[in-house]
Formats: sequence, C-alpha cells, structure tokens
Amino acid sequence: MFTRLGTNAVRTASRQTRNYATLRDIETRLKSIKNIEKITNTMKIVASTRLSKAERAKNTARVYDAADREVYKHAETAAVESEQPKNLLIVVSSDKGLCGSIHSSIAKATRKRIAELNNNVDVVAIGDKVRTQLNRTNADNLVLAFNGVGKETPTFTDAALISDEIYQLSDKYSNVEIFYNKFVSGVSFEPTIKPLFDAEAIEQSPALSQYETDQDAKVPETLSEFSLANAIYTSLADGYASEVSARRNAMDNASKNAGDMITRYSILYNRTRQAVITNELVDIITGASSLD
Amino acid sequence: MFRSTAFKSLARQSQFISRRTYADAASADVLKLSLALPHATLFSSEQVTQVNVPGANGDFGILANHVPIIEQLRPGLISITETSGQTKEFFVSGGFATVQPGSTLSITAIEAFEPSAFSAEAVKTQLAEAQKNVNNSDEAIAATAAIQVEVLEALQSVAK
Repeated sequence: MFTRLGTNAVRTASRQTRNYATLRDIETRLKSIKNIEKITNTMKIVASTRLSKAERAKNTARVYDAADREVYKHAETAAVESEQPKNLLIVVSSDKGLCGSIHSSIAKATRKRIAELNNNVDVVAIGDKVRTQLNRTNADNLVLAFNGVGKETPTFTDAALISDEIYQLSDKYSNVEIFYNKFVSGVSFEPTIKPLFDAEAIEQSPALSQYETDQDAKVPETLSEFSLANAIYTSLADGYASEVSARRNAMDNASKNAGDMITRYSILYNRTRQAVITNELVDIITGASSLD
Repeated sequence: MFRSTAFKSLARQSQFISRRTYADAASADVLKLSLALPHATLFSSEQVTQVNVPGANGDFGILANHVPIIEQLRPGLISITETSGQTKEFFVSGGFATVQPGSTLSITAIEAFEPSAFSAEAVKTQLAEAQKNVNNSDEAIAATAAIQVEVLEALQSVAK
C-alpha cells in the first residue's frame, strides 16, 4: 500500500516537472522499442535473403537489355523531333515502403523532369508509393497507374501486361522515357532515365539502312513494342534490386538505432529503479525513526 | 513456302560469299553470340561457328560476317554450332535476332528450352485443347488459341 502511494507521489511529481519519467513509463517505452527492434531485424533478414535473388534477376535482365538495345546503338536511333512534342514518362517504383528514400528520390527526379519539359507531360506510375507522391503535386499529369508490383521478383509477364496497357495509349507520344532506380552498389542507387523509341523513331534512324529488314513485316513496330516490354521488365528488375538493398540498409540502421535506444533506456530504467528504492527506504526509515 | 525458304537461304549464302571476299580475314572471322532471356543468360558474347534461327520469313543460318539484319523470330528451333563443333539446340517461342555490324548476333527471346525438356504427350493434349478454341466466337480467346496452335505445332515437330 505504502509503496503504491509512494510511486503515485513520484508520478504526480514527474507530471509537474516533466523531466523525471516514472519507472512504469520507462518500462513500457523500453518494451515497445524492443518489439520494434525485433520487427526491423526480421525485415532486415527477409530483405537480405531476397537480395541475392533480386540481384541475380537484375544481372540477367541487364544482359537481356543490352542485347535488346544493341540494335539502337548501332542504328543511332534518337527520338524524333516534332513541333508539338508529347512526352510520356513511365515511373517505375513499387507498392511497399520502409526502404529509405527510394520512392521519394524517384518522385523528385520525375518532378524535375516534368518541370524541364514545361509540364507538357503525361505520367504513368508503376507502384502505389510513387503514385501517391506524384498525385500530391502532379495529379493532372497522371494518366495511368499500376499497383501490385514489387512483392516478388518481377517476371516478364508482369512487364508484358503493363506494357500492353501502356501501348494502348502510347501511340500518340513522340517521346517516351522510363524512370527507374538503377542499382549501383549494395549501399547506393541512382534514379536513371532510359529513352524508348517508337516505330517512327526506329524507321528514321540514320544508320538503319545498313540493316536488312523485311519491309512488309512491320519490323520497326514490332521491335518497338517488344522493346517497351523489355525496358519495363529490366527497369522493374533493377528497381526491385535497389529497393530490396535499400530496405536492408534502412532496416539495418533502424535496428542499430533501436539497439542504442535500448541501452540508453535500460540504464535510465535501472537508475530510476534505484532512485525509487532509495526514496522508499528513506520514507520507511524516517517513518520508523519518528515512532521512536 | 519451302521453295522460297530454300531460295532465300541460297540467296543469303551467295551474299555471304561475296561479302567474305571483302572481309579482313583475321579478327572479324568469328561470330559472337548473345542469347539472352529475361530470366537467364544462355550465351553472353561467346564465340560460335554458326547459328541457325527460325526467322519469320523462313529459317536461315548465320555465320561470321553476315550482313546486319533485324529479324523477328517465329516459334522454332535455334541451333548453335559451337567452336568445338558441338551443337546446342533451344526451342524459342518468339523474339528478335539482330546481327550487328561486326559479327555480333544478339538474340532476345522470352523463353528458350532444350528440346529434351518438352513432353510430346503434353504438347499433344494442349494442342487439341487449343485447336478447339480457334473458332471461338470470342475474338480474344480465338486469337490466344491461334497463337497457342502456332507455338504448339512448331513444338510438336521438336518434342520427342
């Protein structure tokens, strides 16, 4: 009974001064930090197990992309300059957060590019996170959004479905660019722009004449459609690898910070406990001596 | 069809011979092949002797110093003769083959498997299934079935 009253007295005192937390407060705080640490630590482990698979997918996707782009390099393909350019930006990100600045940096890069193109841009957002971010500032530019990406390592089927939807609207765009987070190393990524070419641009490539193509088979058109799907696939794979590694780092930092907080709060908890015990002893002793 | 294919490959060959006389003999005489899939890399700039690909306009063989070409692939067998003389075969469902100036061949396909990976029975049942849907009143289903039939018929001659 007495002890109860004692702590209550301490608590009321702390409410007034605001710098002396009670034992119970510290205990709940400590417990919640410990739980958070457990969660972040698990997320870190999950991310690091996924990382190797994601990196492998990214590497093969890059080889695929290089094989796909070789022809544009040799044909010196460039976007067609038109009097009334219509731009389309495809922004590749994902649905899930808790991975550092990965979504905001790509949204920032997109906004910058939109400003550069005098706002004469349509945007396709792949992934919920980037859609909400762009919806805040550039809602008028957003024409199409996809979600449900980034849960697992991307497959070509995902990319084909997305590109099919985009292709339904992309025939009127003179300039198409893909934004994605390029995986640089385990600790860094870089928002990158990849240009895409439509059939017209491929036909007008300066060095295309050195290639033998079948005129009747609509090769440029099929090639541009195929490349759109390929580019989306490789961007998804690269973006996914950067996201997973960013998440691992973010969760690693969070766990470390939680560890620091746990040590600080444990010390504070023990100190406060001792102080409370001392106070109670003082109370008891003074009470006992007054009876003498 | 067969005649035109044969003719085409003959024509290609004569072109190849005429080009060969102009080529510098030493370094350019090898063909570098990149055969890449979205989820796997089968060949990455590896030297090979000859590659036969199923083009949309008929099968054709590619040797070193082939003229640059962009060709869409139809479902069929790619056969690769390696420098050691061994032949590797892959069935592809479609994609693109591009020969770059400088004897580099890049093939991008969505799927590629060795013929031994297919079961002839499964092909047969799926083909029967697809053929049923070819004349479906729903255009989307009919188009999907037509593509399935195209792939499976090509596969039927390959699967053992």
